Amino acid sequence: MSESPDRPLEQQITLLELVDRVLNKGVVLSGDITLSVADVDLVYVGLRVLLASVGTLERLHEGP
Amino acid sequence: MTDPRAPSTGTAYYTYGVVPLDFPAGALEGAQGVGARPVELVGGDAVAALTSLVSLDEFGEEPLHANLNDREWLERTARAHEDVLERALSAAPVIPFRLCTVYRGRDQVLDLLSERGATFAGLLDRLRGTVELGVKAYLDRARFLEAAGAAPAPASPSGREYMLRRQRERTLDEEREQFKAECARSSHERLAAVALAAQANPPQPPEVSGRTDEMLLNGAYLVEAADGPLAEAVAELEGAYGPRGVSYELTGPWPPYNFVPRDLAET
Repeated sequence: MSESPDRPLEQQITLLELVDRVLNKGVVLSGDITLSVADVDLVYVGLRVLLASVGTLERLHEGP
Repeated sequence: MTDPRAPSTGTAYYTYGVVPLDFPAGALEGAQGVGARPVELVGGDAVAALTSLVSLDEFGEEPLHANLNDREWLERTARAHEDVLERALSAAPVIPFRLCTVYRGRDQVLDLLSERGATFAGLLDRLRGTVELGVKAYLDRARFLEAAGAAPAPASPSGREYMLRRQRERTLDEEREQFKAECARSSHERLAAVALAAQANPPQPPEVSGRTDEMLLNGAYLVEAADGPLAEAVAELEGAYGPRGVSYELTGPWPPYNFVPRDLAET
C-alpha cells in the first residue's frame, strides 16, 4: 500500500456504514436546536454522492 | 475550528441517547465525546440521558448546517457519537439518538426525559442484553458466471456465435437477478430465524458500497450475543452460497440503531 494523503477506500466504506446508521437510523427528536429531517436527509444524500465519487476516483486511479 | 478555550457565545446539550437510571457512570470515564467534550449523565425519574456540554459556536443551528457539510467534521463527530454509544452499550442497554440532537440547556433535556420517560424505559427493557449486528451479502458476478458454466468469449466470433452468445448472456442476466432475489430472501429468513428482530434495508448500489460486487442483502439483526448463532448462520450461508459467488460481511456489535423507532410517536 502506498502512503496517500487520502484515506484508503476501506475507511470510506466504514464511514458510510457508520453514517448510514447515525444519520439514517436512531430516534429522531425535535431538540431545541435541531435540523429538520429534510435537511439531514439532504446532508446524507450529499455525503453519499461525495463518498461515491471518492470511491470511483480511487478505482479509476487503480486502473482497469 | 472552535478553540475550546475561547470564550463562547453560549453552550448547549448534545444528546447521544438514553440509558437506564442504574447506568454505571464509571463506564464513560475518560470518554471523549463530540467537540472533544467529556460525557455527562443527566438523570431523570425513569431514565438518564448521555450528554455533552457543547459550544454553540460549533453546534448552534447555523454553524451546524455548515459543519454537517464538512466531511472531516462529520466524520469526527459521527465517530465520537458512535464511540460514546458503544462504550455505553458495553455496560447497559442504550437508545441511540440520531446524530446532532442538540438541546438548548439541561432543563430541556430533563423535560424530554420526563415527557418520554415511560416510553424510553419500556424500550430499554426490551433492548436489555441485546446488540445489533449488520450482515451484507455481495455477489461476485465473474464467480457467478463461472459457476453457471458461462464460456469465455471467443476472440473473433462469427455472426452466429455472436448471436448465440448474446442470447445466452441475456438468459444469464435473468438467472442472476433471480438468484440474487432468492439468495437475499433465504439469507434474510435464515438470519431472522436466529435473531430477536430483523430488518432488511435496501441494498446499496455499487457506487455507494464502494465495491464492484453487487450487494444483494443489507440486513440488521437484533441478537443476544455478537458471537452467537447469527455468526454461525452467516458461516453456514457462506458455505451454501459461496460456491455461486456470494460473500457475506458481518459488522457490529452496533447500538440498536435499526431497532428503535425513528419517531417515538409511533410507539
